[in-house]
Amino acid sequence: MKTIGLISANYGSSEFGALLKDRSLASLPYGGRYRLIDFELSNMANAGITTVGVIAPTNSGSLVDHIGVGNPWSLARKKGGLFVMPGSIYGMQKSGSRFLMRDLLMCSNFFIKDDADFVIMSGSSDVCNMDYEPIIKAHAESGKPITMVYKKVPRGEEFHGYFLDIDENGKVNGINTESFGWSNYFADTFIINRKYMIDFMNWYRSLEYMDMIEIIKDNISTIDIGTFEFRGYLGKIKNPWEFLKVNQAMTDYDIRNEVFCNPERLIYTKAQDEAPVFHYPDADVRNSVISAGCRIEGRVENSVIFRSCHIAKGAVVRNSVIMMHGTIGEGAVLDNVIADKYVTINPGVKIYGGEREPVIIGKNQSI
Amino acid sequence: MKKKKMLAMLLAGGQGSRLYSLTNNIAKPAVSFGGKYRIIDFGLSNCVNSGIDTVGILVQYKPLVLNRYVGTGESWDMDVPDGGVHILPPYAGKSGGEWYEGTADAIYHNIDFIDMYSPENVLILSGDHIYKMNYNLMLEEHVANNSDLTVSVIEVPWEEASRFGIMTADNEGNIVKFSEKPKEPDSNLASMGIYIFKWDTLRKALLEDHENKDSSHDFGNDIIPKLLAEGRKLTVYRFAGYWRDVGTVQSYYDSQMDLMDDVENIDVFTGDMKVFSNSNVFPPQYLGREANIRNSLVCNGCTVYGSIKHSILGSGSVVLDGTVIEDSIILPNAWVGRNCRITRAIINEGAVVEDNTVIGDAEGDIQVFGETKLSI
Repeated sequence: MKTIGLISANYGSSEFGALLKDRSLASLPYGGRYRLIDFELSNMANAGITTVGVIAPTNSGSLVDHIGVGNPWSLARKKGGLFVMPGSIYGMQKSGSRFLMRDLLMCSNFFIKDDADFVIMSGSSDVCNMDYEPIIKAHAESGKPITMVYKKVPRGEEFHGYFLDIDENGKVNGINTESFGWSNYFADTFIINRKYMIDFMNWYRSLEYMDMIEIIKDNISTIDIGTFEFRGYLGKIKNPWEFLKVNQAMTDYDIRNEVFCNPERLIYTKAQDEAPVFHYPDADVRNSVISAGCRIEGRVENSVIFRSCHIAKGAVVRNSVIMMHGTIGEGAVLDNVIADKYVTINPGVKIYGGEREPVIIGKNQSI
Repeated sequence: MKKKKMLAMLLAGGQGSRLYSLTNNIAKPAVSFGGKYRIIDFGLSNCVNSGIDTVGILVQYKPLVLNRYVGTGESWDMDVPDGGVHILPPYAGKSGGEWYEGTADAIYHNIDFIDMYSPENVLILSGDHIYKMNYNLMLEEHVANNSDLTVSVIEVPWEEASRFGIMTADNEGNIVKFSEKPKEPDSNLASMGIYIFKWDTLRKALLEDHENKDSSHDFGNDIIPKLLAEGRKLTVYRFAGYWRDVGTVQSYYDSQMDLMDDVENIDVFTGDMKVFSNSNVFPPQYLGREANIRNSLVCNGCTVYGSIKHSILGSGSVVLDGTVIEDSIILPNAWVGRNCRITRAIINEGAVVEDNTVIGDAEGDIQVFGETKLSI
């Protein structure tokens, strides 16, 4: 069954401060060399999906620069390929709405002109290596118009998002925004019959200010929705603390193997082609992820260092994320810090963030 | 199409037999270098950094990895519509086919290819040298001198001159003599195997040389002496900088160590004349809680739990805990188990080193361990 993909990148979050000043969550740098949207683009590519639409945010500079014409995901094609479509200005204002009807209506041609059976739709801010093929298969077999993907999570109260009431036949009976204990957390991913999607947009055209999931929630008794349980790692990033945690998850052996080192489903990203990391004689790196092009002379622990950073002699970086081209001066100490691109920390400067409240240093800052 | 000032022909067909098991399965230019590069990256990157966008790569020996690696040339920004990278294997014609029988013969068989672009000059390169060079500066001299052939030379110590092809030049830089590995050299200018020919001169020489039954069809042995005898204008271009032939295991080892130890001369880290590569998609390296990495180069995709001193870990290689690696080069995708000791050794691409293995020691020749395992 032919499936095309649609990724919503037109949303941000008010919780990230300087990190999302000029970008949407989709293009937030992650994991040393990635941007968050890489995971969805790779999941689509790895399922053999060759037509992918991306709803771009109004501040789309960093996103467009990163995904280009879609080469890393084999989307620079004659037939199908990558379609970057402008989203509405409301996307970045309404905090966190993934599937805003206004955005979907604006790109209705994407659904109309293709002849695919299904559209797999997703957000662009979760870290996961999700195999879409069994989801597409299950959806095709179910005959239902929509299949929602969820993950069972132990403490629903700590999650923000939607939770699914699922009956014994796997049908969604209700969608809630609050939950306690073990819950079925909606993974911002669903698959919908393309023709049903076109009908849906016609039916609810007047509710363009709403999120599509909200509309489904309000009309749940009239829509037959199936479910698919995702059992893999789902790194959700809704605030800086989660961002730090999900970065550090890369140091976990199982997560690293599942998400990043699965030879059948690699995570692709824009190639930068930096030199190998130079560990100097005094370097001391423990339990950390270091990206190409870095020069390490100091200490790094439980941290993620992006490409082309310089950690000078005597500097200590702990529990932190340093994005590309960061310069950490001699004797500087960083603990629980998230530094955006091109940050300079001058020699001897010490910055300590709280464990749940990392200090954020904006792009190009020198401290 | 705009007429090309210069097209490059990169000789990449050699076996590199003195690299032993490193080239059992792959051509020498495709051998891994410096963790994430392959030897051919230096030549190809020099081309793109010199503004050359059309390169013919002459392949013959075990070209599979090389062909795949070069691909469309996209990694070197050479996927351009009116040029690009062309893999040129030997091929059959109406009267049958032949292998390339020498460096000049390889070019002879591709005269039609070069004619398609009809460039003013042709740059001949070897795909097995480590150096950074702007060929444009050489071309400028070549054009200013109105030379038929310009040979890039480098000064070598007099005592080593007898190991090289030596150019003897007059005060104006005109070549008066070429001697291959002379016992008593009268010059210390070694040919780097980098030539810029006027295409019409080279074309004529190749056609004539092909008819000569006594010729070995080699640039050094046949074409250069022939042009000298004809009284053509042959000049030297003096290159000063890092240049290494990585023909032996020792020189292959030494020049990789130079990436760490001699950064001033061969710098792959800073932006000037960047060396590009077609690297696979790997996550950034992960270094474990007990890892201890000092004075080493480590690539994307590595997972390290052991101790690494003054060594190079290639992309995607794994080193487990209790293992100590010193003064060694672990090629891409190799896997080194627990409690191993590797000293002054090269672990082949994709090789597996079982737990508790000891390889190499502080004395003696550099050891090469394992067979190259081809994978994607």
